[in-house]
Amino acid sequence: MSKTPLLEIEDLYARVCDKEIIKGFNLTINEGEVHAVMGPNGAGKSTLSYVLTGKPGYEVTSGKIRFRGKDLLSMAPEERAREGIFLCMQYPVEIPGVPTMTFLKHAVNAVRKHAGEPELDTPSFIKMVREEGKALGIDNEMIRRPVNVGFSGGEKKRLETLQMSILKPAFSILDEADSGLDIDALKVVADGVNALRDGRRSMLVITHYQRLLNYIVPDFVHVFADGHIVRSGDKNLALELEEKGYAEFVKEK
Amino acid sequence: MPGLIQETKLFGENIPWLQGLREKGLAAFKRQGLPTAKTEAWKYTRPRDLNADDFIVEPSNFLAEIRAGLDEAGGCRHADGNCSCGGHSHKSGCSCGCHDCSAEQEKGCCQGHEADCGCPEHELDLRTELPFEAYQIHFVNGKFIPVHPALPRGVEIMTLMEAVLTDEAREYLGRLVDLEHYPFAALNTFYLEEGIYIRIARDVELDKPVVFINHSETGAENLFYNIRNLVVVEAGAAAKFVEYYKYGGDPKSRYFANIVNEIFVGHGAQLRHYKLQNDAFKAGHVALNVVRVKEDGRYDAFALQRGANLGRNETKVSLVGEKAGACVNAAYVMHGWATLDTTTDIEHLAPCTCSDQLVKGVIGGDAKGVFQGKIHIAPGAVKTEGSQLHKALLLTDTAEIDVKPELEIFADDVKCSHGAASGELDENMLFYMQSRGIGYEEARRILIDAYLEDVINKIGPEEIRGWFRGQVK
Repeated sequence: MSKTPLLEIEDLYARVCDKEIIKGFNLTINEGEVHAVMGPNGAGKSTLSYVLTGKPGYEVTSGKIRFRGKDLLSMAPEERAREGIFLCMQYPVEIPGVPTMTFLKHAVNAVRKHAGEPELDTPSFIKMVREEGKALGIDNEMIRRPVNVGFSGGEKKRLETLQMSILKPAFSILDEADSGLDIDALKVVADGVNALRDGRRSMLVITHYQRLLNYIVPDFVHVFADGHIVRSGDKNLALELEEKGYAEFVKEK
Repeated sequence: MPGLIQETKLFGENIPWLQGLREKGLAAFKRQGLPTAKTEAWKYTRPRDLNADDFIVEPSNFLAEIRAGLDEAGGCRHADGNCSCGGHSHKSGCSCGCHDCSAEQEKGCCQGHEADCGCPEHELDLRTELPFEAYQIHFVNGKFIPVHPALPRGVEIMTLMEAVLTDEAREYLGRLVDLEHYPFAALNTFYLEEGIYIRIARDVELDKPVVFINHSETGAENLFYNIRNLVVVEAGAAAKFVEYYKYGGDPKSRYFANIVNEIFVGHGAQLRHYKLQNDAFKAGHVALNVVRVKEDGRYDAFALQRGANLGRNETKVSLVGEKAGACVNAAYVMHGWATLDTTTDIEHLAPCTCSDQLVKGVIGGDAKGVFQGKIHIAPGAVKTEGSQLHKALLLTDTAEIDVKPELEIFADDVKCSHGAASGELDENMLFYMQSRGIGYEEARRILIDAYLEDVINKIGPEEIRGWFRGQVK
């Protein structure tokens, strides 16, 4: 069976505030694949996630990124999201004054509109959020509150997962999805993520630790150091890393 | 100062106390002149543009109506021009565009007229524009439209000149305005004529808000008009008063509306005062609200300024009785080259009084926001609490905000606080929303609306709050 590439990153260089962070990064992710990128602090993992989603201040100096064959770098952040790229953030942003429900509705309808689907009316929207929220332990009270304001670390990550569940992106980036989570919350989040694995959707899981990969089992594992991938393998590579630490891999280059 | 002082015949010039007040106003204005950069109270908001010599003061409607009544009816039922009707008991068919409306009170619009009778009510949709029930009073370009709402017992609404003639206004008119320190209020006093008088009798709780609407319509170009409203809430009474300056004529029309409200809140009474200023973008709008609150009384205000090239809403509240309280909140939303000024002065003159102020603004384009907030605590006004907070959101590099908070505390055992902050839209919030598919402009709009949400939430009555929420968008 031939594989359809979803995301292709070719020889990417990117910098933040004149500091080169990503240096010669190459990666292709096909439909349905889950890739894990592991690396030490400061390797550029979060930078990679922001470059993919188009955060201002993250400047690509050379290289190409294609998403479903389209030039991703020419798209605004919202266009990338509408095309199906979702970033589950390490530190979700608090937005005082904007009820979570309002925020979710704007997001869902923006994505639906782009896909040529009719906007959801409020009752069907609320119904959908309730159903998806139930599995994640998100109640009505939580979604009436302003976005992430006063949320615990676990609540923030559950809200990120809820957004992923209702936006149903073709490609999700999970940036340190396990940070700040206890083991029960981690399971809830992982279940939410796994529910989206349908053989077509793809994911990029960014993490320090192997632990998360027990719950979200990747097809491929890449070791990311000094701005590029130094080694790739299957899920066993993660176990090897856990045992030996990063030092050995970083030297390999 | 050509332009602002003009010879004009006003109603009731033969009433000595009224005319005396007008003359005092003129003299006080002449002494002060227009504020300049050196005038402390106006140092950020320069009223230069209001000093134009092509402003037009229109002839009095009240005198015109009386003359018309004499001509058409072959002699008005009143003895002479000094009749006690206040200019409003006309034969139907008179050319003043006015009539005896008692039969149509419920409908709020006159029938019986031909469509081309020139009656201003026919050209304006006077009923449908508010999403809540109200007693509506309409002005067009600063002139009263004689349609009176049907009122419940215990409430009186009449033109200021009617209240002058019946001597009701005499006890109140001009009592709160310090002519020597408010030049525009002095000017307003010189032109005393247009405006309404509202009295809520003792212990009456008014069921619906009284809404004063001034429609700036075609013909507003170059007009200079003055409106003076008197609001008297007697002991134990409660009411809501809404002012709406609505513009519907040429978007480029330039005019100058000079407004003064004198407000008396009695012992244990409550007035909620809401204002929406949405004048044409080249207009000038200067308003002074002077409020006196007696023991246990309460004055709650919210003013939203979003129109005019130069807009100033100044509120002076004197808390004269123990446990009197005031909330003076405001918001402004501006773009282009406008200057919008919110100035407050809260005087705590008695023990256990309290005041609270939240003022928030959104400034775009090359616009300038001004907030001057003063809290004065007089000697002896112990156990008083006063707080004030101003916040501004600057949308562009050329937007400007000038803030001057002042605390004058002459008593011990008081709690007083003030704060001011300004900032820009948060890039991280914008990116977070964009990363969920929400467009940049839409994300900005959502954040701007959210910025004003807490001050809008200070508006108590839900239906009025909802209306204002729609207006800031």
